[in-house]
Amino acid sequence: MKKVFSIILISVLTQGLIAKEVNVYTSRHYDSDDALYQEFTNETGIKVNIISGKGSALLERLKFEGTNSPADIFFTVDAGNLWKVQKEGLFQPIKSKKVFSKVPINLRGPNNEWTAVAKRSRVFFYNPKKVSADEIKNISYESLANDNWKDRIVIRSSNNMYNQSLVASLIAKNGEKETEAWAKALVRNLARKPQGNDRAQIMAVANGEADLAVANSYYIGIMLSGNAGIDQLNAAKKVKMTFPNQKTSGAHVNISGAGILKNAPNPENANLFMEFLLSDKVQEIMVKKSYEYPIADVPLSSEMASLGVDFKEDNSSVKRFGELNPAAIKLMDRAGWK
Amino acid sequence: MFTWKLLPFAVAIIFIAPIIIVFSSLFGTYSDTWNHLIEFVLVDYVSTSIFLVIGVSIGVLIIGVFTAYAVTNYNFFGKKFFEWALILPLAIPPYILAYTFTGLFDANGDANVFVRLLFNLENNFVLFPSVRNITGAIIVFSFTLYPYVYLVTRSAFLNQSSSIKESGRLLGLGQVGVFSKISLPLARPAFIAGLMLVIMETLSDFGAVDHFAVQTFTTGIFRTWYGLYDLNTAMQLSSLLLMIIFLFYFLERFSREGVNYTNDNSTFKTSKELNLKGVKSGLVSFFCFLPIFIGFILPIIELIIWALDARVTLFNEKFIMSSFNTITLGILTGVLCAFLALTINFSIRYTKNNFLGKLSSFLSIGYAIPGLILAVGITRFLVFADRNIFSDLDFVITGSLVGLVLAYIIKSYALANSSIESGYERISNSIDNSARLLGARGSILLGKVHFPLMKTSFLTAILLVTSEVVKELPATLILRPFNFDTLAVVTYTYAAEERMYQAAMPSLAIVLIGIVPLIFLSKMIRSSRLAET
Repeated sequence: MKKVFSIILISVLTQGLIAKEVNVYTSRHYDSDDALYQEFTNETGIKVNIISGKGSALLERLKFEGTNSPADIFFTVDAGNLWKVQKEGLFQPIKSKKVFSKVPINLRGPNNEWTAVAKRSRVFFYNPKKVSADEIKNISYESLANDNWKDRIVIRSSNNMYNQSLVASLIAKNGEKETEAWAKALVRNLARKPQGNDRAQIMAVANGEADLAVANSYYIGIMLSGNAGIDQLNAAKKVKMTFPNQKTSGAHVNISGAGILKNAPNPENANLFMEFLLSDKVQEIMVKKSYEYPIADVPLSSEMASLGVDFKEDNSSVKRFGELNPAAIKLMDRAGWK
Repeated sequence: MFTWKLLPFAVAIIFIAPIIIVFSSLFGTYSDTWNHLIEFVLVDYVSTSIFLVIGVSIGVLIIGVFTAYAVTNYNFFGKKFFEWALILPLAIPPYILAYTFTGLFDANGDANVFVRLLFNLENNFVLFPSVRNITGAIIVFSFTLYPYVYLVTRSAFLNQSSSIKESGRLLGLGQVGVFSKISLPLARPAFIAGLMLVIMETLSDFGAVDHFAVQTFTTGIFRTWYGLYDLNTAMQLSSLLLMIIFLFYFLERFSREGVNYTNDNSTFKTSKELNLKGVKSGLVSFFCFLPIFIGFILPIIELIIWALDARVTLFNEKFIMSSFNTITLGILTGVLCAFLALTINFSIRYTKNNFLGKLSSFLSIGYAIPGLILAVGITRFLVFADRNIFSDLDFVITGSLVGLVLAYIIKSYALANSSIESGYERISNSIDNSARLLGARGSILLGKVHFPLMKTSFLTAILLVTSEVVKELPATLILRPFNFDTLAVVTYTYAAEERMYQAAMPSLAIVLIGIVPLIFLSKMIRSSRLAET
């Protein structure tokens, strides 16, 4: 018993003494991220402590912990989540030159409060047997409102933040009135009540329940990898992916991103962690494991590369997703988008 | 007398504080969001929730009461098995049943594929209707939650002396008459108490309804928080939901007031079971098997199919640690919660403290608070306590396990309380009077007289809470300390991305761990027949 106590005592003491750690609040919960954190510890000897949860709930915890918060890093998907933390003034500016050299200005916070770590695009998946080349040729988000798509489209519920950001970007581009008319038309064109996640939409197209699905790009990578089971692999082979708005504003892009918190107890470690996330090595892991698009200049995974390497991105409004999100939700409510 | 008045009161206040914090939002400002909600979505949220609650109530009452009556009053094929197996679906969290249902019954789900293979049908043949709708949600909640009604109703039926029923027979009632005119009305407090638990869990659920794309009041709460960035309105919505539930609670208590359901008759006679034969026996068996099949066997089959498909390493460190965390927290909270409920209920009875009784009911509705909203109340409470009591500089209890245990106790007090309360209802007041005449007071009365009589209820409380804690997700996700995973958290990591083949193993582990307390419970149920006569 004595032995047990002394071991506990020693481990408690040494933890206080060494304190080489970085505390991360994350709303990303891919297990590939666990491997990243392990890699960081191996490289630097700094332990990564994790709490994962919904972005909004983590923000609430941050707010109430205030100056006493143990969190160093906020790591999340969706630019809206980053904007919320930024608006509360909970980030400190990133100063690392290494980070700046890799990330273009439009993928950072207005005062470098946060930076993108990886990108994803919200794209279309279609059944080539049912959708004509003509229909795909100049396809855009806007054109989904056209009558030729009646009862042919699937998209998930408006509860989902990817849809909220997409609508927010359309509001930024086309204004609220036009976007509302667009959303109403889109709802009329749906093949079924919105249900399931992005992957379920792709499956619906593969199974012939609909002709076109709106979903995030990386899902097809996971499905094509075969790690998601044989059903999904077969389904993924039946659909084609296309990037919308290539002749106009570019395809909608959202980000995974991170920032250092104002009250971070370990700011140096946090800075190292940020640089680590943008290192070529980690960027390659993210590309290969979560099938996102990289920020640094590293090759795509073979699965994603097979679907198109260069496409025109619409990065213009990433910073405004958060601000416009409530307007987007209200608009979808009014349009009857369940 | 003094300690029994003040102590439980003080303890109860600690647990009620986070609920009060949620309620305090009602006294704040009301934002523009309300106009939008009222104009476009609130009617939809409310009507969907009402429809859901009515559907689930009918479902659990039919399944719970009918099976409870069958296994206590009749002898039929497999009865000994059904008696305990009927509570097994309690080990399946509604969100997991929801996920397995879509895995089975979606157009390309395993059940539809199986039927196609079996009858060699076309690829577009779909036998089972879609479950991603309100009917699907009603089925999921009915078949995972009916055991709450079954458990309490069964023990109520067991405690009905056969002499009452015999009197009924003598007065010319048939079997149906005895059931509907005597047994059922006498068991009313029991099945209503069970039903309240079911309603609260249904209303606070997010995972299952969200997966089925059913927009309830609770999904509306989260949409308001996450999407409209309006936490205050979200908390106001939760408070309204709680007030409605509170109203129900009091109406139900009020309607019982002055009616005595306790059996003071010292000539208690166990009922003789009627032997059923042939078709009747088969039919009753079938009806008892159906809920076990839908609520337990079917999801397990689907989880196993997924797990086999996953090719994941089973027993890695993360998996073992999260299992360990889950079990420890489950047992710890179970014991604490049962003690809390016992002390409070004893104190209410001993000091005839009506106000504490009201506090106890109030704490019970904690079951109906959506986990994440409760977590907000708890974080605020802990930060307040840390700043004012423990230390200005550092957090002592914020971000520690204290928050988790607090959340679990608030979320599952209703389970412990209902079990302890019904235990107390069965102890006649005359026992207290005799004990007190003989000089037993306070802790002696509780420890030496009540506790031995309450052992079954006490254990039931622990087991119910434990099996609930094992399943809890939303509050755990946000309140846990760094690097602290439970099985539900691991499941969520995968399920959130609908990677069910990987979520299957931890899900199965949740079910397996959840079964252990249930098996104890089942054993007690079987022996309770003898013990209570």
